[in-house]
Parts: sequence; structure tokens; C-alpha cells
Amino acid sequence: MAHGPRIVHLDQLVIRPGSGWARLPLIAGAVGFVFTIVSIVLARSSPESTKQFFHSWLVAVVFFLCIGLGCLFFVLIHHATKAGWGVVVRRLAENLACTVPVLAVLFIPVVALGMYDLFHWTHADAVAHDRLLQVKEPWLNETGFWIRTVIYFVVWSGLALYFRNASRRQDDSGDEALSRRMARFSPVAVAVFAVTLTFAGFDWLMSLEPHWYSTMFGVYFFAGTVVSAFAALTVLTLAFERSGHFRGVVTGEHFHDLGKLLFAFTVFWAYIAFSQFFLIWYANIPEETNWFLSRLHGTDHNPANWRAATMLLAIGHFAVPFFFLMPRTIKRNRTLLLIGALWMLAMHLWDVFWLVMPNLHREMTFSLLDLTSLLGVGGVFLATAGWLLSRGSLVPSRDPRLVESLAFENI
Amino acid sequence: MGLMTLDVPEASAGYSHYGVLARFETAKALYRACEAVRDAGYSKWDALTPFPVHGLEKAMGLKPSKLPFLVLATGLSGAGLGFALQSWVHIQGYPLIISGKPLFTWPAFVPVTFELGVLGAALGAVLGMFAFNKLPTYHHPLFRSKNFTRVTDDGLFIAIEAWDPKYDDRDTAEFLSGLGAVEVEHVPIDDPADDSDGGGAA
Amino acid sequence: MAQSQDNTQEPVAGRAPLIVGGYDFRSLTEAVAVPVERKTPIGWWFFFLPSLAMLGLFGVSIGWLFWEGTGIWGLNNPVNWGFAIVNFVFWVGIGHAGTLISAILFLFRQKWRTSINRAAEAMTIFAVMCALVFPGIHVGRVWVAYWMFPLPNQMDMWPNFRSPLIWDVFAVSIYGTVSLMFWYVGLIPDLATIRDRAKTRIKQIAYGIFALGWRGSHRNWLHYERAYLMLAGLATPLVLSVHSVVSMDFATAQLPGWHTTIFPPYFVAGAIFSGFAMVMTLMLICRVLFEMEDIITMRHLENMAKIMLLTGCMVGYAYGIEMFIAWYSGNPYEQFAFANRALGPYAWAYWIMVSCNVLTPQLFWFKKMRNHIGWLFISSILINIGMWFERFVIVTSSLHRDFLPANWDYYQATFWDFASLIGSFGLFFTMFCLFARFLPLVATAEVKTVLPEADPHQGEELVRVVPAGAGTEPAPQAAPAGGGGS
Repeated sequence: MAHGPRIVHLDQLVIRPGSGWARLPLIAGAVGFVFTIVSIVLARSSPESTKQFFHSWLVAVVFFLCIGLGCLFFVLIHHATKAGWGVVVRRLAENLACTVPVLAVLFIPVVALGMYDLFHWTHADAVAHDRLLQVKEPWLNETGFWIRTVIYFVVWSGLALYFRNASRRQDDSGDEALSRRMARFSPVAVAVFAVTLTFAGFDWLMSLEPHWYSTMFGVYFFAGTVVSAFAALTVLTLAFERSGHFRGVVTGEHFHDLGKLLFAFTVFWAYIAFSQFFLIWYANIPEETNWFLSRLHGTDHNPANWRAATMLLAIGHFAVPFFFLMPRTIKRNRTLLLIGALWMLAMHLWDVFWLVMPNLHREMTFSLLDLTSLLGVGGVFLATAGWLLSRGSLVPSRDPRLVESLAFENI
Repeated sequence: MGLMTLDVPEASAGYSHYGVLARFETAKALYRACEAVRDAGYSKWDALTPFPVHGLEKAMGLKPSKLPFLVLATGLSGAGLGFALQSWVHIQGYPLIISGKPLFTWPAFVPVTFELGVLGAALGAVLGMFAFNKLPTYHHPLFRSKNFTRVTDDGLFIAIEAWDPKYDDRDTAEFLSGLGAVEVEHVPIDDPADDSDGGGAA
Repeated sequence: MAQSQDNTQEPVAGRAPLIVGGYDFRSLTEAVAVPVERKTPIGWWFFFLPSLAMLGLFGVSIGWLFWEGTGIWGLNNPVNWGFAIVNFVFWVGIGHAGTLISAILFLFRQKWRTSINRAAEAMTIFAVMCALVFPGIHVGRVWVAYWMFPLPNQMDMWPNFRSPLIWDVFAVSIYGTVSLMFWYVGLIPDLATIRDRAKTRIKQIAYGIFALGWRGSHRNWLHYERAYLMLAGLATPLVLSVHSVVSMDFATAQLPGWHTTIFPPYFVAGAIFSGFAMVMTLMLICRVLFEMEDIITMRHLENMAKIMLLTGCMVGYAYGIEMFIAWYSGNPYEQFAFANRALGPYAWAYWIMVSCNVLTPQLFWFKKMRNHIGWLFISSILINIGMWFERFVIVTSSLHRDFLPANWDYYQATFWDFASLIGSFGLFFTMFCLFARFLPLVATAEVKTVLPEADPHQGEELVRVVPAGAGTEPAPQAAPAGGGGS
């Protein structure tokens, strides 16, 4: 039963001209452009729509940003731990991470225009009558917010571009020193990433409700980020296998591992989410429970509706995937894993929606702008990702551990 | 220990030998040999190694363990019973308002429910593994082989049992030698003279 | 014994050997089994007898506590939790590294764990034993300690399942049980090794009973490995839950400094941090005492140092975020609690904590320090001191100045507080000495799997990469995978 080695042709691991992938940047870009315009047009129809637009746009940008940042985290951890198994999918993550600078362009101008509609602490009259907001002013002021936001984006974009470029340089040169350099730099990068991600979560999401605070919030934001990244990475890898690029390159072993990590971080998210809720619920201190009250109660007219959203999050982001992703057969079945990963992406979108929207609607409502913003940002995101992916090999073709990764088997 | 019965299937009745025991020098040779024994159509046989040889179950043609189903069942039972106990205690057994919360406060029951679920699953895993592996089995014909003490040191063995339909005293031994076994021996089922010292090991 | 080979430099392609010294299966068995079989070395008594003396002190202090009551401790009105809870949390935390090594690193396929997991798991069990003593003895009326369990009793009472203290009872005792099972399952093949090597009938029977008649059947290994994998999968969330539950003893309260949502993951990180420091201390001694420098190599120590750096940074992150949010909250009580922690009467303890836990591991950014045996030993001790102080700071500094200034007081530990702390180390080290003397210190069967010759496909080429531009023809001959087959 001795088999010869599996043969992998690296020259086939590029996007083939004429395949759907080659058309992706154009199509997605067109969709993104059209729906961005549509969103802007809709936003200008009334003051309410403008407000809605800023919130919908924030949800959409943060959702896709999470995917990019989670992929950046994957790349950093992969280098820091000198991991072998994931080399075949690392290039996909490197490319997705490099969508961050483009998302910064979508984030900064829109949020800048929407500051007043999004963040209560920018209302000078509110601050004048609110002792807590006055105390927080050294942190919650527009200058500080923008300085920090620019720092976050510069740091993340710098890291993402550095790791993608170094890895691509290795494709050409095969220089092993690059691997060593990335491995040495990555632990520091992880530390910087952790701090910036935490404060970005505080600034962009936690301060939507400026009275509320939770030390866990940064970890919560991180957990969701990683879940969405592993889900996106799984979907992308499956798509490349289906389109033939990765056939015979990635194996059930890689999908099993991606599925395990998706499962693990789904459980981790649940642990963090439950702990945060639980401690606040248990101690029952009014200044903290507020945030959850607005997510557990609607208006008098319709008291159950945000509660339903919260229940959906608990069940859909934890209970269902917990049982669905647990068996090893599901993680090794392409179709079922695809369903699981798409479901987790949808649930992460729901999570971001749930974090942002109670700020705008006391009663849960959907708007057409939610959809158009998502398509607008998503189109740009996919176009960027598709363009980046088409720029070279789909795997780090001369990474010294590529063969280890291709031959990898689970325990 | 002498009271324990031998772990020999009833099929052994009428056989004078347990079977053939062959030792291989390397994991690679053992792996190949297992593939060959499997492909030759033997069914009552085993590989015996000091450590789990990676992927050997594939070479032996073994089906995956069914243990996970048992563990899922015991885990869910543990969690379910734990949740039921807490609910009953606080609603029926000893109803008491604590920190102004309702009697049925499910979030507060989560930690203990979780812990009992893990306990159930872990007990299921360990006790299930013992049951599936028929542990403890203090007596086994293989322990009669002096060579066999190496199985917990560096010995990599294949044992083919005498009641395998394809078994033949001579052919099977030669078959194993042909696969690269460095030592091949016939293992007796039982030696009445030996019984007094139990033979549990060594 | 000089290091025969430096395996701390991971090559970019391929992997450095996990153990050095040219071991094969047989010499590895020998190296691990001999310390169990030979006469007790003198060096062992140097550790065992002082530990036994400290254990005696533990007995005396517990006896005096039962006789006299908790008044012998330094507890006072605002600070009515003291050393007992500090020691409890400290010891539970120590245990966490064992589970991390045995379960989480297993799931992450960190095969270097095989050299240290046995000792680390043993450490977990002994640490949990030490931890369980404290809630057991501090309840005041020890003769009704069984009220903590859901047992029907003559007063028709039931435990309050909404109390974090009851969660502790369940979490820690189940943690102990599962850890024990995990450890024992791992021990079975090695007990069989000692059984098969035994020279005396008594040894053969004693080890043989616990080896359960293990004969290395692969039909058994199949279920065994699956059970081990699932135990690892269960122990991983369990270990996270245990210190999370412990953290909830504090975090569910409304007291500033205790009530903070980051406590669960922060406690878990701290627990792993302190536990690794303890594993480091023990391994540095054991590898010399039992001549295992080639099995527990520099690489193992370096990897542990890296995990200490990671968890130390996580702990530092949590300290920072707590401080930031205390200020950001705008809540004067929160702000006071944290200012008081850093600048108040317990500032000395706070700064010991910060310097030991956050600053000490920073030196591990440098490879030179990760490979420096002396510094590893010193830092492991410092980190454990720091982590003990962390719990001390959390407990006392938050309590001693609560909402009502009229209540404020200063907590001063007494002789008996220290006696029980030192005594618990006696229990821990006594157990560990007995373990190291009578049971195989290294999981031999598992280490064998990381030797290159354990791989049945050793040297085979499983994948061949055809570089870009080489055309579509596969390279003409695949290296024959080492011979026949059907």
C-alpha cells in the first residue's frame, strides 16, 4: 500500500485568468460602489436616515474590519508559535488582513461626519449637564478619539502590510532569514495588537453608551474578531478548493483544524460573553446593568424585541454551533463545514449589530440602509481581497515549512 | 489475582495455543506488517506496542472508537441532572429569595451545571475506556511469554490468535517471519504448572 | 552533566529534536524507570525531611485552629477574609499549569509537553489538595463542612446554588477528580513498564494492580487515545471554568476592586502564570536530581519561559485595564479603590506584585535570559511570590477600606496565618517528593512517540512540491517509500 508522494504544483496556485476569482475585484467593486452610492443617496433623504446610515455603516465596517484584524492575529500567532500546519492558508489570511487600510478609508470619513449622531459624548450640551461625561472628557473627546483611531489604523495596516510583504518577498527569494525575522517580530506585534484592539473596542463600540464600562469589553471584541476571521478563512479556503485551485493542496486535515479553531473560539466567545453578562447581572449595579437592560428590554409597546435579539445571539452564536461544530465528521465534511462557517459569519454580524444598534433604536428595527451599507462595504472588502489575492501565489510558495503544512496530519 | 479468569474468548475452547507472537524491530516494519496481516484477511489479531504508533489503526483496519457517543451521553446527563437538581432545590426543596432575584435564576445555575457536565463526560470517558478495553484484565496468555515483557519497553509485537479462521500453526508463523519479524514464538494458552504463581506479569 | 546538544534553536525548515542525548526506546525506559527502582538517593531526603517538618507544622496549625477557632488568625472586621482565601486561590492557581500542559498543549500538538506533563499533572493534584484544605478548615464549624454538599440532612436544608462559594466546592472538587483521572490514565502504560521490570514480587503486584493488566494492545490504544483526547478536550474548558469560578467569589460582589468583568480570564491567565513558575521550580530541581537533563531539556525550559512571558503580559494587561477602567468609570469608589491599592497602606504589597509579575518576566523577551538556568530559577520563585501577593492585594486592599471610612482597619497576619501558609507548602512538597520517588516522573510512553523512530513513516516523502516554472510533468521518480507493501 505504499503510495508515492502527493505532487503539488506551485505554478497552479495562482488565480487563473478567466476564473471567477479573476473577475471578483471588478464585480465586487462595482457592487460596492453602487451600493455605497445608494446608501449615501438614501442617507440624504431625511435626518433619521442620516442617523441610521451612520449606524448601519459602522456595523458594516466593523464587521469586515473584524475579519481583517482576526486574520492579522492569525498571521501573527502563526509566526510567533512557528506553526507548521497552517502555512497553506496563511497567504489567504495575509491578504485578508491587508484589507484593513482600505477599510480605514471607509471608516474615517464616514465616522467623522457621523460623530455627532453616533456618539452622545460629543454633544457639548449633554456634557455640560453630565458629571460622568465631564470626568471622562480627557479620554472621550474628539481630538483624542481621532488621534487614537489614526494610531490604530496605522499600526494595524503597518503590521498587515509588513507581514504580507515579507512573506511575498520570500516567494521570490526563498530567503529563510525572512521567516526568522517574522518569527522574532511577531510576539511584539501581538502585544501591540492586543492593546490597540482593546482600545479600539472601547472607543468605537463601548463609548457608544458613554456611561457604561466593562473591563472585559476588549476581550469580548477580540473573541468575536477571531471567530469571524476563522469563519472567513474557512469559507475562503473551501471556495478555493471548490474552484480547483486548492484541490489536492488543502486536505481534510486542514479543514479539521480550521473547524477546531472555529469551534474553540466560538466557545471562548461564549465564555467571555457569558462572564461579562453574568457578573453584571449578578451584582446588579445600576450603572452597569443599563447597557444590558437596553438589550434585554424593548419599549413598553414591544418589550420583548431586543430580548429576542439577545436570545438569538446566545443560541445562534453559541448553543447551535457548539453542538453543530463538535463532531469531527462535520469538521471534515466540506459542505457542512461551509454551512457552519457561513453561519458563524452571520452570527458575528448579528453580534456587531447587537453591540451598535440599541444606541439608535430602543426597539429593534431593520432598515434598508443596513443592507445597502453591508453590500457597499462588503463589495469594497471583497474587491480589495480579490485584487490582493490575484497579485501572486495563493500559498507562501517558498516558505520553509510549506511541505510540513501540506503533509500535515491531525493526531 | 489468581482468582481472575483469563481473558480468552470462548472460541479458545479446544485450542492448546493462544497463537503466534512476532516481534518487529522498528515501527515502520510493524506498520508494514500490520497492513499485510490486514490484507491477508486475518481478523483475530492484535498489534502490541509500548506506545501508540501513529496511524496504526489504519494499517490494522480498525474502526474508530465509539467512545465519543458514550461521553456525549454521560456529559449531557451530568449537566441535565445538575441543572434539574439546582432548579428543584431552589423552586421546591428550599425556596428562598436571594439578592432579590426570582427563584428560578438559571444564569446562576450555569457554573454547577457546567461542572457536573464535565464530570459526567470525564467519568464516561475513563470508565467507558476501561469497559471497552476490558480493563482490568490481570491475566492474559501473552503474559506467559518471557519476550513479551518488552512490550512496555521497546518491543513492537503482532499476535495472531489461534482461533482466527485463517490461522495455521506453521503457515502463520512463517507468514510473520516473512514480514520481517525478528522473533516468532507460539504462546501457550495456559500452563497448569504455572498457575500457582499467578503469572500476572513478567 | 553537560548539555549534549543545544535544541533551543528551532531550524526554519524542520524541527529541533525535543529530547537530546541519543535516547532510544530502551534507554529512555531505563532513564525513567531507574530512579523509581534504585535505592533512595540521599539528595531526596534533603527535600523530603524538611517538607515533612513543614507538613507537621500544618498539622499543628490546623489542630490549634480547630481547638481555638478562627480567632487565631489576623482577621478583623472589614478584612474578614484573609490568608485562608489567599492561599486557596494561590494553590488552585498553581494547579492550572498542570492542566494547561497536559490538556491545552496536547490539543495544540505541542509535543514538548510530553517530557513534563506527568510531573505537572501530579503537581496539579497536590496543589488542588492544598487548596481544598483551606475552605475545609476555615468554615468555623468544621464538623458540619458536609453542608457544602447537596446531601439530604436532618434540617431539610440544601446548599445555595446561587452562591459562588458553592460553585467553588463543585468546580474545585470536580477539577481535582478529573485531574486525578487524567493523570492516572496517563500513568497506566508506565505503571505497566515498572511492573514488567519489577525484580520483586511485591513490587510486581503493587504496580501490577494499578497497571490493570495493560499489555499495549493497539485495540486498547485506540480507545485509550480517544479517551485521552476527550479528557484533554474536557479539561481545557474545565480549567478555564475553575479559576473563573474562583474569580467569581470576588467578582459577583459589589465591592470596588472585586467587581470587575475581566476577572475570569484574568484569573485564568494568572493561574497559568503562577503554575508554570511552580513547574519551572520543580523541574529545575528534578532534572538535576534524577539526571534527566536530556529529557527535560533547555528547550522545555525555554518554552515554559515563553509561556510565562505571555501569561505575565496578560496579567499586566489586566492590571492596566483595571486601572484604566477604574478611572474611566468616573465612579469615585472605583477610583478610590485603585488609587488606594497603588498608593494606600498596602502599596508595598501592590508594588511587590507588579514588579514580580509584570517586570520579572519581561526579561524573558531575551533568549539569553530564557536559557539562563539561574535566572529561570530565581524568576520562577519571584513570580510565585508575586502571584501570592496578587491574591493578597485583591483580598485585603479591597476589603480594608470599604464604603464606610469608620470601618477602615489594617489587616495584620499572625504567626498562625504564616504557619498554615508554610504548612501547605509542606503538604505540597511532601506529596511531590513521594511522587518523584515512587512513580515515573516522565510519561515514558508519550515521550517515546516523539522519538523519530516512533514514526512509522519516518523518512518517507509524503508530499512533493513542484516549484513554479518547472512545467506540469511530475518529477519522474517519487522516492520509493522504503519498500514493498501490497
